[in-house]
Amino acid sequence: MHWAWIVLKKELTEVLRDRRTLLAIGLAALATPIVLFVVSQVSSRTATQTYTVGYSGDIPTGLDILLSATGLALEAVPDPAAAAKLQVDLGVSFRPHEIDEYYDPTRQSAQIADIRLQTIVGQYDAAQAAAALKDRGIDPGILTPLKLVPHPLSSPVKAASNAFLSFFLPYILITMILTGGFSAALDSSAGERERRTLEGLLLTPAPRSQLLLGKIAAITIVSLGAAVVAIGSMFVALTQISLPGSGAASNHITLSPTAAPVMVGLALLIAFSFSSVTLALGTLAKSFRQGQAYVTPLYFVTILPASIILFIPDFNPSLAYYLIPILNAVLVLRDAIVHDSVSWPALTVTTISLLATGALSWVAALRLFTREALLTK
Amino acid sequence: MTQSAVAVERLEKTLGANRVLRGISFEAQPGEIFGLLGPNGAGKTTTLRIICTLLSPDAGQVQVLGFGTKTAPAEVRRRIGVVTADIGVYPRLSARENIEYFARLCGLEGADLVSRLDGVIERLDMGSFAKQRAESLSSGQKQKVAIARAIVHDPEVLMFDEPTSNLDVLASKEVRDFMVESKGRGKCVIFSTHVMHDAERLCDRMTILHQGLVVAGGPTDEVRGDKRDLESAFLALVEA
Repeated sequence: MHWAWIVLKKELTEVLRDRRTLLAIGLAALATPIVLFVVSQVSSRTATQTYTVGYSGDIPTGLDILLSATGLALEAVPDPAAAAKLQVDLGVSFRPHEIDEYYDPTRQSAQIADIRLQTIVGQYDAAQAAAALKDRGIDPGILTPLKLVPHPLSSPVKAASNAFLSFFLPYILITMILTGGFSAALDSSAGERERRTLEGLLLTPAPRSQLLLGKIAAITIVSLGAAVVAIGSMFVALTQISLPGSGAASNHITLSPTAAPVMVGLALLIAFSFSSVTLALGTLAKSFRQGQAYVTPLYFVTILPASIILFIPDFNPSLAYYLIPILNAVLVLRDAIVHDSVSWPALTVTTISLLATGALSWVAALRLFTREALLTK
Repeated sequence: MTQSAVAVERLEKTLGANRVLRGISFEAQPGEIFGLLGPNGAGKTTTLRIICTLLSPDAGQVQVLGFGTKTAPAEVRRRIGVVTADIGVYPRLSARENIEYFARLCGLEGADLVSRLDGVIERLDMGSFAKQRAESLSSGQKQKVAIARAIVHDPEVLMFDEPTSNLDVLASKEVRDFMVESKGRGKCVIFSTHVMHDAERLCDRMTILHQGLVVAGGPTDEVRGDKRDLESAFLALVEA
């Protein structure tokens, strides 16, 4: 371990003086708050934005007030169907006992306006029906013979923030672990060949496994550092901005006592595996640029499973799925965040899978690092 | 009989489809500059890489101060220092940090490490740029860093593989002077080059390789024979 420690210290010294790696970590710290700020701005603007409803015919009494209060501005048009194509967000033709609605489902503004209109018309219908029944001396309660009383088991606001964290945090964690150590890994492998320092290094009495271990440890630390910076800046940003569904402010978004250690453990395993893989791929390359070409596909291969959670939030797979590296980490982390609990079989399979991936990556890196072709080709 | 510093015996090596070494043998002694000569592709660098354990021979063996490169590679690496034409340094480390890194990997630490670092920096006159980052050094200064890290652990065998090919006249002279000085300190210096003029001036004995075979060997005067200079003798051997 003595030699590995020497290599680790030297690699970290170089990383701290490397503009590329520091820039990547700095961008990670900035990128997350910027993304969150943009999401917050877009969502709050969407919530408060007024949409235009082009109409023809006579508006039922009182409905115009309700529509205005819900952010739907009425504008008289000769042909609502034609106007809905471009001129306004929604076209409405009021007829006795019927409303014809025209909208283009490919436009997001039309979709939002449609939802608002349906909600308001539903409430208007219910109020009118209740008033009519009351006039006739009938209890309006007969309209809702089966009343639904919701009893949420956790705070809906907390659930919304957990849902946000469950897809955003694993994504950031995996992306930053990979990209944070990217430059350091290539510099430590392909860079050694490109600079012609590798031969001198291999000429020392230090065992190659120790040299490799020192390099992988350094890359792992840099990767984790980048992830910590990105996630830290995310939580700081969340105290300053509000997100959809999480109330006025999001400063209550915190990681549960269950999710935090799970995240740290998984991050360590993933970082070690990624470091070994990127170092192995970098060792195949003769230059930093060639190394980039080898390692870049790895980004897409790893981001794909992480993205599944974004597209299928309620994905509940069988235990076998937890054998798939990265996907398993994302799933375990999601469960820990959303449910504040851990399925021990899933965590065990995930840990074994990630350990095996790390071990295989280590063996591959060692084999590549000790082959003669490293110096002769 | 004194032990050879380096003993190469019937060495064979194939790289890809190229049979680089075809059974070469030679011995180099302490306190001499031994030339390993030959045209490009003769097998000089491959031979040096086998001696310093970076490559394994397909057949034959190498002993460095009694340690086999196959059986005790770490012991061999402790006793050799290699300087090549490719002056690889870590650009974001200072000259001193570059040397220190290799010194530590060679097992030096504590007061011994500091005194060796100070000693080698003074010996190679590197004081003016020792704290400067390597990325800002000239080729000659980088070559001094490369030499310093190769000798900081005070190895008994020094190998120079085309050490002056990328250097200007002044820097080349400093490297040559250093080789002579090392010889005076009882070190075995193996000098691989295709510059016959340098070899003739510096080497006590030599081996000439051509197409993976030894075509001549012995004291420099003997190899030159009745030819005008070593280059003429070399051309006669290679073209024969």
